[in-house]
Amino acid sequence: MTTTLTAPQATGLGRRRPGRGLPWRRRLAPYLFVLPFVAIFLAFSIYPLVFTLRLSFTDWHGAGAAEWVGLGNYVYLLGSPGFWSSLANSGILWLLIVPLQLVGSVVIAVLLNTSKLRMRGFYRVAFIVPFVTPLVAVAQIWIVLFDQNYGAVNAVLGALGLPHIGWLVTSDWAKPTLALLFLWKTTGFVVIILLSGLQSIDTSLYEAGSLDGAGRVRQLWSITVPLLRRSLMFCVVLQTLAVFQMFAEPYVVTKGGPYGSTTTAGLYLYNHITRADLGTGAANSFLLVIVVMALSLAFVRLLRAKD
Amino acid sequence: MADLDIRPATARTASTPTPPESSRATPSPGRPRRARRRLHVGSHAFLLILTVAFLAPVAWAIVSSFKPAADIIRDPLGFDPSGFTLENFRGMLQDVPIGSGFLNTGIVLLVKGAITLFFAPLAAYAFAKYDFRGKNLIFGAVLLTLMLPTIVLIIPLLLEMKELGWVNTYQALILPGSVDAFAIFWMRQVIAAVPDELLDAARVDGCGEFGIFWRVIVPVIRPGLAGLAVLTIMNIYNDFVWPVVVASSSRMATLQVVLSTLAQNISGNKVGADYATVTGELLAAATVALIPLLILFIVLQKHFINGILAGSVKG
Repeated sequence: MTTTLTAPQATGLGRRRPGRGLPWRRRLAPYLFVLPFVAIFLAFSIYPLVFTLRLSFTDWHGAGAAEWVGLGNYVYLLGSPGFWSSLANSGILWLLIVPLQLVGSVVIAVLLNTSKLRMRGFYRVAFIVPFVTPLVAVAQIWIVLFDQNYGAVNAVLGALGLPHIGWLVTSDWAKPTLALLFLWKTTGFVVIILLSGLQSIDTSLYEAGSLDGAGRVRQLWSITVPLLRRSLMFCVVLQTLAVFQMFAEPYVVTKGGPYGSTTTAGLYLYNHITRADLGTGAANSFLLVIVVMALSLAFVRLLRAKD
Repeated sequence: MADLDIRPATARTASTPTPPESSRATPSPGRPRRARRRLHVGSHAFLLILTVAFLAPVAWAIVSSFKPAADIIRDPLGFDPSGFTLENFRGMLQDVPIGSGFLNTGIVLLVKGAITLFFAPLAAYAFAKYDFRGKNLIFGAVLLTLMLPTIVLIIPLLLEMKELGWVNTYQALILPGSVDAFAIFWMRQVIAAVPDELLDAARVDGCGEFGIFWRVIVPVIRPGLAGLAVLTIMNIYNDFVWPVVVASSSRMATLQVVLSTLAQNISGNKVGADYATVTGELLAAATVALIPLLILFIVLQKHFINGILAGSVKG
C-alpha cells in the first residue's frame, strides 16, 4: 500500500535522474532540507518503534535486566480474556459508531452541498465545533451531562415522562454513551471530508439522472454513493484507526468501567504501562497494529469490490 | 488503500478562495416548485435539529458554568440571570493551577508549532521537488508510521525520555512528534502541485535553493499552510495522551492535564454538596479551556475548513 500511496503523478518523483550534471548546491540542498525532519523522525519515531519490537519479546518492568521470553508475551495475551474483551469492547464501539456515522455524514454532506441552501456557512461551522473543542473538556462535560441523578440529559428525559437512565454507571449504557461522545465529536470532520468528495462530482451526472427519471433517493444511491467511494473508504479507515485507538475518552469519562465494559483496546494497552508491565504492553501494541491494519485492508477490499 | 488518491486542492483554494459552490447544484429541472420547497423545509428542519444537538453540550456547559453550583444540579436545564456568579471560576482557580497550565500549553504551542510549520514544509519540499538518495526509503517509512496507532510509541518514548532525563521537561513535550509524518505527507501533496516551471524561472533569476522554498513555494502554498497551522495549533492545544504520560507533575502539566485532574476529583467525592461544587468547577474549567479555541476557530474557520478540504481525498 505504500507504493500506491505515493502514486500522484504530478510530483517530480522519478522524473529526474538523481544528481548527475546538476550544480553541487542543488545536489546537496535536499539532504539539508530533510535533515531536521529525519533527525527528529529517527530519534522519536523509528528508534522507539524498533525498541518496542525488541521489548515485546522480553519480560521487563522498567528496571533491572530484561528477560528474553521469545513469543511469551504474545502467547500470554492471545490466551488472556482481558485482551479479547478489550478488542470486543472496541469492536462493539465500532459497530455503534461507524455505520451510523457514515450514513448520517453522507446525508448531512449531501444536504449541505445543495445550492440555494441558506445558512450553509452556519451549519458547516456548527457541525465542526465539537471537533475543535478539547477532548478533555468535552469528556468532563459528558460526565456532568450524563450523570444519573443530576445530569441535564436525564432531566430532559424526566420532563418528557421517560425513566432516568444510568448512562455511565451501568455496563449496558456506558458504551452507547461513549459512542455518542465520539459521534458528536468527530462527525463534523467526516462531513467535511465527504463534502470535499462531493464537490468533485460532475453535476451533469445528476441532470442525466433526473432526465432518466431517477428520484432524489435513487440519485443518492446510484450516483453519489458510488462516486464517493474513495472518500468513504478514507473515512472508514480513518475512523477504524481512531475507534480502536480510543483512549482519552474512556480514560477521563469512565476509567474503563463499569465492570470493564468500556476498557477499550487503547485503554487496555495503557493499563500495562501503569502496571509497569512493559514487555506485555509492547506486545499488545503490535497485536493492536496487526488488528487495525487487517481491518483497514479488509474495508478497502470490501469497498473496492463494489466497482 | 490502493486508490486512496489524496491529491491537493491547493490550486483550487488558491485561485478561488470561496469554492464556486453555487454551480454545484443538484438541479431538478422538471420538479414542481412546491415539492422543492417542501424538500427545503425538510432539510432545514433536519439540519437545525442536528445543529442544536451539536451545539447544545458546549452551550450548556458555558451557560451553566456561570450558575451557582447548587443550581447546576438542582435545575440543570434552567437559567436564572439574577443568579449569575463567577464563584465556580474562583473555586476552580484555587483548586488547580490553571494559570501554569495555560503557560505550559502556550510555550509548547509556540515552539512546537514553529518547528512543525517550518521544518515540515521544508522537508516536504525536498520530497516533492528533488531526487536524492534514500528518498523513497524515508518516504516509505513516513507512510508506514502514518498507519501505526500513536499509542504504540508511548512506552519506548517514555523510556527514551527517562534515559535522557527529560521526564517533566519542555523538550519532552515539544520534540517528539514535532515534525510528524502527517504534516510531511500532507505538505508533500500540496507542494507537488506547484508547477516546476515556477521553480526553474526562479533559478534562472539567480534564486538559491532555499530562496526558492522561501520566496516561491511558501507564498504559493499559503492556503495549505494556513490549514496546517490551524490543525497543528488544535492538535497541540488538545493533546492529552503524551502530556499526561510524560509531564504529569503539577509544575509541567499542560492545560489539558490540569483539567483532567479535576475530573479525577469528581469521581473521588460523588456526594451531595461537594459534588455540586466540583461539578461547577469542572464546567468552569471546561469553559476556560474551550473559549480560546472557539474564538480562534471562529476567526479562522474558513482557513480551517479549506485546509481540510485541501488536504483530503477527492472522489
